[in-house]
Amino acid sequence: MRNGAILFLGLFAALALSWAGIVVGSSDQLGRLAPYYDEGEGASFPAGFPGIAVRGEQVYRDLNCASCHTQQVRRAGYGNDEARGWGTRQSVARDYIFQPAAQLGAARIGPDLANLGQRKVDREGLLRLLYSGRGAMPAYAFLFEKERIQGQLSSHALDVSGVEPGWQVVATPRAEALVSYLLSLSSPYDYPEAKAAASAGEEKK
Amino acid sequence: MTQTASASPEDVTAVEIHGRLPLLFLLGSSLLWLVLGGLLALVAGIQLHAPGFLAGCPVLSHGRAEALAESALVYGWLANAGLGLSLWILGRLGGEPLRAANWVGVGALFWNAALLYGICLVAVDGATAIPLAELPRGAQILMVFAYAAIGVGGVLAWTGRRRPAMYASQWYAVAALFLFPWLSCAAQALLVWSPARGVLQAVVAGWYGQGVWTLWLAPLTLAAAYYVVPKSTGKSLPAYEFAPLGFWCLLFVGAWTGGRHLIGGPVPAWIGSIAIVACFLILFHYVIVGLNLRGAFAGGSAALRLVSLGLLAYLLGGLVAAVTSLHGISEVTQFTYFDEAERQLAFAGAASLTFFGAIYYAVPRLTGRPWAWSGLVRLHVGLAILGTLLLVVALAGAGLAQGSDLNNPAFSFAMIAADTRGWLLAASAGQALLLFGNFLLLVNFIKSTACPFYAGDRVAQSLRPAGASA
Repeated sequence: MRNGAILFLGLFAALALSWAGIVVGSSDQLGRLAPYYDEGEGASFPAGFPGIAVRGEQVYRDLNCASCHTQQVRRAGYGNDEARGWGTRQSVARDYIFQPAAQLGAARIGPDLANLGQRKVDREGLLRLLYSGRGAMPAYAFLFEKERIQGQLSSHALDVSGVEPGWQVVATPRAEALVSYLLSLSSPYDYPEAKAAASAGEEKK
Repeated sequence: MTQTASASPEDVTAVEIHGRLPLLFLLGSSLLWLVLGGLLALVAGIQLHAPGFLAGCPVLSHGRAEALAESALVYGWLANAGLGLSLWILGRLGGEPLRAANWVGVGALFWNAALLYGICLVAVDGATAIPLAELPRGAQILMVFAYAAIGVGGVLAWTGRRRPAMYASQWYAVAALFLFPWLSCAAQALLVWSPARGVLQAVVAGWYGQGVWTLWLAPLTLAAAYYVVPKSTGKSLPAYEFAPLGFWCLLFVGAWTGGRHLIGGPVPAWIGSIAIVACFLILFHYVIVGLNLRGAFAGGSAALRLVSLGLLAYLLGGLVAAVTSLHGISEVTQFTYFDEAERQLAFAGAASLTFFGAIYYAVPRLTGRPWAWSGLVRLHVGLAILGTLLLVVALAGAGLAQGSDLNNPAFSFAMIAADTRGWLLAASAGQALLLFGNFLLLVNFIKSTACPFYAGDRVAQSLRPAGASA
């Protein structure tokens, strides 16, 4: 190879082609996805994110929770996500259109969180899990504050063991926002494209 | 490629004399980041089997420790070392003294300052949670400009080369110099400046993550390997006429292989399908690289041994990517430690081992002196090989155990943690060995470069006309 100009143009073409193919191609396919209006229910899906959940998503990103948790359910027949109770159908692109930054994740050191809001979890339980950790999940005690009880126990005080008498553990606004975000993660609606993907998966099996 | 072997440490040319300070600065800062990144990676690794470790410290909570380690190792160690080596190789093959050395020096300063600023912000404020683009946007844009300044030296060495013909090392080095800023700008625009909507961000991040390897770090690695192997063996490369095909195959097909990580995800299904085809097409590139550089396996100096193991890791990485892209296999390995093993095979195996070899080859030629402690060289080579092997094998074992457990709903996450614990302990031991070995390399580098370079300059000026040995 002698010609520098050809090398330069070739390099540019290599990058531009993959960019055009992968990025522009999928943008063309997904960029205009709108919420789906169900006439039967008189509502459109997915619903928007409440403001506090948007703040919680920022905490989820700051702490890089995606290094251990995914937010994507794989289709039946590819892995065993449905049997684990992570969702009743494969996640589709429309599930994420209102998320400020879709946190698909790439590691499952902990469970998938795509439909955490649909599972048997409550606010108090999630806060306790964040405060003390469990199994492979580390404790995020720095999202909480220990304060002296002034008069009555605060209504926000966390029911955890190991706190000295006269003190209480209270969630910081960051912990509250994070839990609101986690509880808002839920995509129960069966979009037409999810049904099509499920039936394609069945045929393959 | 008909280059003769020139293994004498006094082999100092005008390239070295003009570019010595910025090049040694790039290599030295790369080693500092290597040790810092290794320490962070060890912390993140220990947290996988001991979740309570440093959990009370927000700066080093697991997600951030991972983001910090990745940024320090990729943009600190691999980038600085790859750039320093590529500039040195472009200068030598160009046959002219390195021009724009001041630009390289200033660029290197800003690159490292921006990285340090970004890393501090990640530690205090949190990561962006985009793999390989964890740094805040201010740092990222500054790094693109710094990279361009460093690149000026390489591009001038390439355009001002004495012979019109180019060697494979030069194609790969020039490709890496040009492609990273374009890649980074295109990705930043859609990830941080004007974020794309929904899963499109994951698609862009996947494209960028693969590009960082195939369009930037792999070319930097190959530039070093294609230079050190013929120089160390003293033989011309076999099947060299196929090398251009291997080069273009990597560039045109490589970036399309990233979609294998998105198979089964909420993205267009064709992204995964194209990735599987690309993973097999690109095997052609690996065959050509293996054919060209097979002389490395004959053994020889420490540098050649490291490069040959890096090459082995590179070839194995291509094969593993193809195999794990298949649905039956990715069903088990997807989202597990196996992905991490694959990444470490590329970053710690292929790139790092090759760069170690090239650094052992280049530094005596830059300083005009042999390494200060040859015993430390042998010790580091042994630790680097053992540590990398242990890390990759242990992570792969952990990944396979985790993957088969995950697909069986009867296994709770506590049981999965118990099943992978032994493997993860072994992986941490690998990280610890690497950290210790790399610290020895840093000490040896400081000792070898700390004194003034009189000997080298005298030899270079008395024995060689400028640029004669490139």
